[in-house]
Amino acid sequence: MNPAAVAADTAERLDRAGSLNAALAWSPAALAAEARRVEALEPGGPLHAWPIAIKDNIVTTDLPTTCASKILEGYRSPFNATVIDRLRAAGGMVACKTNMDEFAMGGSTEHSAYGRVLHPLDGDRVPGGSSGGSAALVAAGVVPAALGSETGGSVRQPAAFCGIVGVKPSYGRVSRYGLVAFGSSLDCVSVFGRTVDHAARVLAAISGGDPADATAAAMPPLALDPPRADLRGLTFGLPVEYFPPDLHSGVRAGVDRAIGLVRELGGRVQEVSLPHTAYAVPTYYVLAPAEAAANLARFDGVRFGRRAGEDTDLTAMYRATRGQGFGPEVQRRILIGTYVLSAGYSDAYYGKAQAARARIRGDFSRVFASGIDALITPTTPTPAFKAGDKTADPVAMYLADVFVSAVSLAGLPALSLPVGRDSGLPIGAQLIAPAWQEARMLAIAAALEARLDPVAEVR
Amino acid sequence: MSWETVIGLEVHVQLGTASKLFCGCPTTFGSPPNQNVCPVCLGLPGALPVPNEGALRLATRAALALGCTVHRRSVFARKNYFYPDLPKGYQISQFDRPIATGGAVRCESPERGPISVPLTRLHVEEDAGKSIHDRFANATAIDLNRAGVPLAEIVTEPDLRSAGEARAYLTALKQILVYAGISECSMEQGSLRVDANISLRRPGAPLGTKTEVKNLNSFANVERAIEAEQARQQALLETGRAVEQVTLLFNVGTGAVKPMRSKEDSHDYRYFPDPDLPEVVLSDAWIAEEQAALPELPDAKRERFAAGYGLSAYDARVLAADRRTGDYFEAVVEAGADPKASANWVMGEMLGGVHTTGAGAVAAATLAALIAMVQRGEISHAAGKTILEAIAASGETPAGAAERLGLMQVRDDAALERWVEQVLAAAPKEVDRCRNGETKLIGFLVGQVMKLSRGTADPKAIGALIERKLG
Amino acid sequence: MSVTPADVARLAALAALEVADDQVPALAAQLDRIVSYVGQLAALGETGEPAADEPIPGAGFRADVVRHTPMAAGPADFAPQFTDGFFVVPRSKARADG
Ligand SMILES: [Mg+2]
Ligand SMILES: [Zn+2]
Repeated sequence: MNPAAVAADTAERLDRAGSLNAALAWSPAALAAEARRVEALEPGGPLHAWPIAIKDNIVTTDLPTTCASKILEGYRSPFNATVIDRLRAAGGMVACKTNMDEFAMGGSTEHSAYGRVLHPLDGDRVPGGSSGGSAALVAAGVVPAALGSETGGSVRQPAAFCGIVGVKPSYGRVSRYGLVAFGSSLDCVSVFGRTVDHAARVLAAISGGDPADATAAAMPPLALDPPRADLRGLTFGLPVEYFPPDLHSGVRAGVDRAIGLVRELGGRVQEVSLPHTAYAVPTYYVLAPAEAAANLARFDGVRFGRRAGEDTDLTAMYRATRGQGFGPEVQRRILIGTYVLSAGYSDAYYGKAQAARARIRGDFSRVFASGIDALITPTTPTPAFKAGDKTADPVAMYLADVFVSAVSLAGLPALSLPVGRDSGLPIGAQLIAPAWQEARMLAIAAALEARLDPVAEVR
Repeated sequence: MSWETVIGLEVHVQLGTASKLFCGCPTTFGSPPNQNVCPVCLGLPGALPVPNEGALRLATRAALALGCTVHRRSVFARKNYFYPDLPKGYQISQFDRPIATGGAVRCESPERGPISVPLTRLHVEEDAGKSIHDRFANATAIDLNRAGVPLAEIVTEPDLRSAGEARAYLTALKQILVYAGISECSMEQGSLRVDANISLRRPGAPLGTKTEVKNLNSFANVERAIEAEQARQQALLETGRAVEQVTLLFNVGTGAVKPMRSKEDSHDYRYFPDPDLPEVVLSDAWIAEEQAALPELPDAKRERFAAGYGLSAYDARVLAADRRTGDYFEAVVEAGADPKASANWVMGEMLGGVHTTGAGAVAAATLAALIAMVQRGEISHAAGKTILEAIAASGETPAGAAERLGLMQVRDDAALERWVEQVLAAAPKEVDRCRNGETKLIGFLVGQVMKLSRGTADPKAIGALIERKLG
Repeated sequence: MSVTPADVARLAALAALEVADDQVPALAAQLDRIVSYVGQLAALGETGEPAADEPIPGAGFRADVVRHTPMAAGPADFAPQFTDGFFVVPRSKARADG
């Protein structure tokens, strides 16, 4: 299809998917401009004329960037994120900006200042979060791929809920320049794909070192592995901590299906242990808020964004701008982050969490050093839950991250692969690989994908 | 009973880089407001800092010049507080793992003689922007050109005991930093700023409560502010009141200090390692390069000048005070001039008038040739000064200028004879008085001849000739 | 309870957040729940030195070169208030210099 036709088709699909509330900003005119940009390129780019949805915490000059927050209402960045430049250089087109939990804080995309995103298969349910808008648009067939971001599972978890592929790269594989920071030591631009191949191609296109990001590894772009017919010679670990006795039986059945397939394809499977797993969620909920409290200090009504309390004094202006501009979950996390770093508490919380993070990282290193090539786990403890189910208790929402946080803390690559459905709701299995082993991880996932029916009931 | 004043200084010095600490914006002084800014130093969403190697090199060089221990691994940390000229809501600084610790600065205390002021640490941090309070009514104007300019913060132990010592320390510190090419240390341009921590105690007693006087903009004001705060604390303590731990601002106009922040303003900076910046790792080779780039420092140069060239302590200090002057002096000596004569010429003529560099500079070899001519008696000292000024303007050789100006010492007896005759004939009264024993008038007559010869005659020869004629 | 309403006021001041008085007790309860939850980190034993962060391959410094970053819009376009080349904010009542 030629770029202009793709642009028009995407606009039509976005229009039809409007009820999902997944897209925050898009226009047929902006899409047409993207198409013209692609037409001016040499053809043959790896993403030639792919419309790609962009999470609204990735800055763009052509469309507003709000992070689904009132504090950035109408904000237009004067620069593009590195990943936007790279997508376009590869022939991709920015389809739209997508709804999310405000500043990526949440696991259901209910914490958006612009309303919740609906699950494409069941509007009463959540698509997961925080990259719920991107996930919903891929799942609804509006775009073949989308960018999200992960701080602690915000792509893998909605991918599992929506029945699509979600890939988080190694920390440092993709530039963060232009990704609005949440927890800088954890944040990774991550990718949704309709298939493993879609996600892999987008990841390859946006990866590689960037002189504008001191935490991006100085590496060439990711080179993908050729497809593999089997998994012979590979050893897969099943961490016992990820298979508790009370695990949701549908989730368990879905992951078992993937494990069975690994064996069928000649892979070896063995139990392993990651003993500090239980510390991952509390560690995450100390470190991410601590970093977020500082990262969100720049939203002060001085240089950009929305200002409130104009006719008061400086301190009152700050407090009004931030108190009225940030939603309740963001304010909670800022307060928690402030608490865990404040005088007298820093050692007990922040310091302890850093130590726990080192142990969690050490768990993975030990297991991978023992000959394990990849780990298989559930991505989420349950399938997509109902909207409103977890909004009353923040900790209940945090516990939905139980299988995804440790990977983020360890900076490892991981993906969620749809393995089937339980009562019509998608189930995802998570593959976790050693750092910088994305190519092999993606090839393994593709081999499994080729033999799985993602819409078949798992039990 | 007397009070002892305990002073510690925190000096912020701008590292002389072309670009800012974490972005490519220029550090140029005096640009229109908010010209030298980009997403990074504006703290825009999504922007990220990337450390400037040049700034870390200069900080390392400063640390080496001050005798600090340079740490192979150090960490940038976020110092969190809200202020409108602090774009990100935190300053990127260093906290528990600075780039350097220890070190000392030697200087001359007016009260205690030579002292060595121990340093606590040196760390790298970014500057904030500028808040301008008198531009708009009821509003503050913010200029972020300075935001992100690289600074080294150099902190002393509380080992200074007087305002005079503080000034002596600052003078010595500035000399070292300018010498080593680390900073221009211009207080007018804000590239050197001083905060002073001051407390009083009875000699031998534990430290008292300290206050901090911020942003002192000249060495004289550092002295004045310390004296004012010393007096304020003493008055409190002597009337049985307590000193409160506050931050003060010095009023240049009134010379008084007043509290800067209201008391409820919190100081909980919640430092933590900046996750946008990897640990700063310096290799031994990298540090060795900076050690090698370090020039000879003022102390060492002073000692070498005194010992090596037989200069007085005073001359050695003056010549070593400024790196270019010292280098110039040595170049003159190297070109063959006598060291003591070179010192006199460089100190007397070059520092006072004709410059050693820039437009009107006189090459060291040229000055050496001129000094040699004076020493050989080819020109008088006075003529030498005239020639120096002439060649600074014209670029001639000293001999050429002497010829052109007719200032070569005249040894021709006939010419001398003629000038002496002329002067004696024109001053019959003085000649008579001389003959009657007023011999000091010979000096007057020699002066008249010198005038007539426009400085080219040899005064000794003239004196001898006059005495002969009158005798 | 480890997070009190007084703590909420202190934290809100540090974080420059306006919190309505009637929200403080509920917020204190929520924060307390979160703090108690993350407090389970206290059970982490003291044994073993935390491993140093693995250095990021090749991440390094930037050369000291002036580079102008083109921006699609200037401060005047995105600032809440921008006059005569300056960002403008209300004056501070709390500080002598503001
Ligand atoms: Mg400082
Ligand atoms: Zn800049």
